[in-house]
Amino acid sequence: MGDIVFKGINKSFGNTKVIEDLNLTIKDGEFTVLVGASGCGKTTLLRMIAGIGPATSGELLINGENITDIPPGKRDIAMVFQNYAIYPTMSVRGNIEFGLKNNKVPKKERNRLIAEISEIVGLTPYLDRKPSALSGGQRQRVALARAMVKKPSVFLMDEPLSNLDAKLRVAMRSELIELHNQLKTTFVYVTHDQVEAMSMADTIILMDHGKIQQHASPEIIYNDPNNIFTAQFIGTPPMNIIPLNEGIKLGFRPEKIKLSREITNSKFQRKCHLITREMLGSETLYKAILENETIMIKSLEAEFRMGEDVYISIEDTDLYFFAADGNRIRKGDVPDYNKLLKMVGGSWNEE
Amino acid sequence: MNLIKTKKRIMRAIPAFLNSIIKLAVVLFILFPFYWMIITSFKPYAETILMPPTFWPKTFTLSAYTSIFNEMNLGIYLKNSIIITLAIIALQIPIMVPAAYAFAKYKFPGHKLMFGIVLVAFMIPGQVTFIPVYFLMARLGILNTLLPQILPFGANAFGIFLLRQNFMQIPDEIIEAARLDNASELKIMFRLMLPMSKATMITLAMFSFISHWNSYFWPLVMTQSEKVRPLTIAIEKLKDVELGISWNILMAGNVLLVFPIIIIFMFASKKIVRAFAYKGMK
Repeated sequence: MGDIVFKGINKSFGNTKVIEDLNLTIKDGEFTVLVGASGCGKTTLLRMIAGIGPATSGELLINGENITDIPPGKRDIAMVFQNYAIYPTMSVRGNIEFGLKNNKVPKKERNRLIAEISEIVGLTPYLDRKPSALSGGQRQRVALARAMVKKPSVFLMDEPLSNLDAKLRVAMRSELIELHNQLKTTFVYVTHDQVEAMSMADTIILMDHGKIQQHASPEIIYNDPNNIFTAQFIGTPPMNIIPLNEGIKLGFRPEKIKLSREITNSKFQRKCHLITREMLGSETLYKAILENETIMIKSLEAEFRMGEDVYISIEDTDLYFFAADGNRIRKGDVPDYNKLLKMVGGSWNEE
Repeated sequence: MNLIKTKKRIMRAIPAFLNSIIKLAVVLFILFPFYWMIITSFKPYAETILMPPTFWPKTFTLSAYTSIFNEMNLGIYLKNSIIITLAIIALQIPIMVPAAYAFAKYKFPGHKLMFGIVLVAFMIPGQVTFIPVYFLMARLGILNTLLPQILPFGANAFGIFLLRQNFMQIPDEIIEAARLDNASELKIMFRLMLPMSKATMITLAMFSFISHWNSYFWPLVMTQSEKVRPLTIAIEKLKDVELGISWNILMAGNVLLVFPIIIIFMFASKKIVRAFAYKGMK
C-alpha cells in the first residue's frame, strides 16, 4: 500500500492546539506503535489515518497520494476501537459481515471469508450469538475479526487490549505479533502502555503534548534515548536522573546498577543508603538515597536489607548525560565528553 | 414465646396485606368500566336497561356487533381509521429518524436554533395551530379527504426529541466503525441506530397510534363526507338514535375502538418502560 506520510499536520479542538506542525512517516508493512500518556495526540493521529477525525490543516499522504478527501469507507483501512464498538443488535456473523455487505462482496465469498476468519480468531462456535452473550475477550475478537475480514492494507488499533484482564492481554499481545507476521500489512497501534509498545513494535513513536519525542526501534528507544522524557517513559522503574553542575543531568537505569557492600574497582562508584526493599521474586527493587536524591535500584541480589549502606557502581556506557533543556548529550555532541564523565567520578581513563 | 413470635409475624404481614388490598381495589376500580363495556355489548337491548342491572349477560348475543356492521356500515370507518393511523406512523419514521440522528450526532451551523424550534413545536398546544392548518388545507384543496388527517402529523416533534436523546446515548465509535465499514449514512440510521432504539421506536409508534386512533375533533372539522371519516366519529353517531341510546350497540362500537389499543399495549408495555428507563450500553 505504501508509506503513510504526515506533512505539516495541525490539529485543534476549539482553541486548544493538540498537534502542531507534525511531520511523520509510517513505513509500509511495519508494526508501528504510537505511545504516550493520555492526551498526547496519539489517538488523534490514528483517527486522521482512519478519516474519522480530519486534521485542521496539513496533508496526509498514503503511497504518495493525498487521501484527505477520501471517505473512511474507501480507504482500505480497518480499525479496532478501544471499546470495540461492536454493533449490539447484530449477531457475531452480522458484525463481521457488515463491511463485506457494504462493499458488495458476493454472498459465497462472504461466507468463505467469515468461515476463514472466525476459525483464525476462534469465534466459529459463537457466530450466531449476540455480542451481549459474549465475554470481554470474545467481544475483542469480534472487533478484530471484523477488521481482519476486510483484508485491509492498514490496521489501526486504538488501545485494543486495555479492557482485557492482565492474563488475556499478554496472550493477545503475542497473537497480534503473530497476526502481523502472517499478514505482513501495516499495523498502527496506539497505547499508553510502554510494555505493550516495547513488546510488539517494529518501530515506536513516542509522543508527548502533540510532539514526537523519539521515533525509533524499541532497542534504540531503550538504549539510546533522545531526551529525559524518552529515558523516563520507557523502563520500569524509570531511569534515575541526578542533577549535576550547570543544569546538566546524569541518568542511569535502575537495572544497570551493581550493588556491593565493599568498594570495588569500578569507575563510577557511590555510597548510598537503602530505605526500602521490595522483593519481587526474580529481582528485588530498592529505593536508596544518593547525595540527597532518591534513586531506584533493580537488582538480582536480594541479600541487601533496608537501612544498610551500600556501594553502587555503573559501567560508563550505561551513564547518560542530558542538557538543561532535557535533550541528550551524546559522545559526538560535545568536544570533550570525557569532561562529563570526569564530572561524575573518580579516575577516568583518558582516551 | 411462640405466641409472641406469631404475633410479630402477623404484625409484619399486615402492611403487605393492606398494600395488596389497596392495589387490588385500584385495579378493580380501573377495570370495572371496561368490564361493563364488554358485557353490555353482548347483551340484548332490553337487558341493558334492566333494573337491577345484571353483572353477566342472561342472554348472550352478538346482535349489537352484527347491527353496527350491517346497518351502520362501520367497516368503512374502521378502514379509514386504520389507513390514517398507519399512514401517520409510516410517514413519521422516515422524517423523525434522520432529524433525530442529525440533531444527536452532527454539529451543523444553527443546529441549536433548529433544535430549539423543534422543542417549541412540541410545546405549543395543538389547538393554537388548528385554524392556520385548516386554512392551509383548504387552500391546498384537500379538505374532505384522508390527507388533512394524515399530513399535519407527519413530523412529530416529541418523537424527534425522544429519539435524539436515545441516539445521543449511542457511542460515536459505533457510527465511526460503521463508516469505516463503508456504510452509508442512511444505512447507519436505519440498520444500526434504529434497531438499537427499538424500545423508543415502539413507544413512539404506540403513542402516535393511540392519539390518532382516538382523534375526534380534527377529523370532524376537516371532513364532511362519511366516506373519509374515522371510527371515532361513527361511534359518536351511534348515540344519535332517535329512540334513545341503544347501550349495547354503543358499547359494541366502543369495544371495537378500544380493542386494538389494549392489544398493542399488552404486547408493548415492557418496551415502553425500557424506553424511558435508559439501559446502560457496554
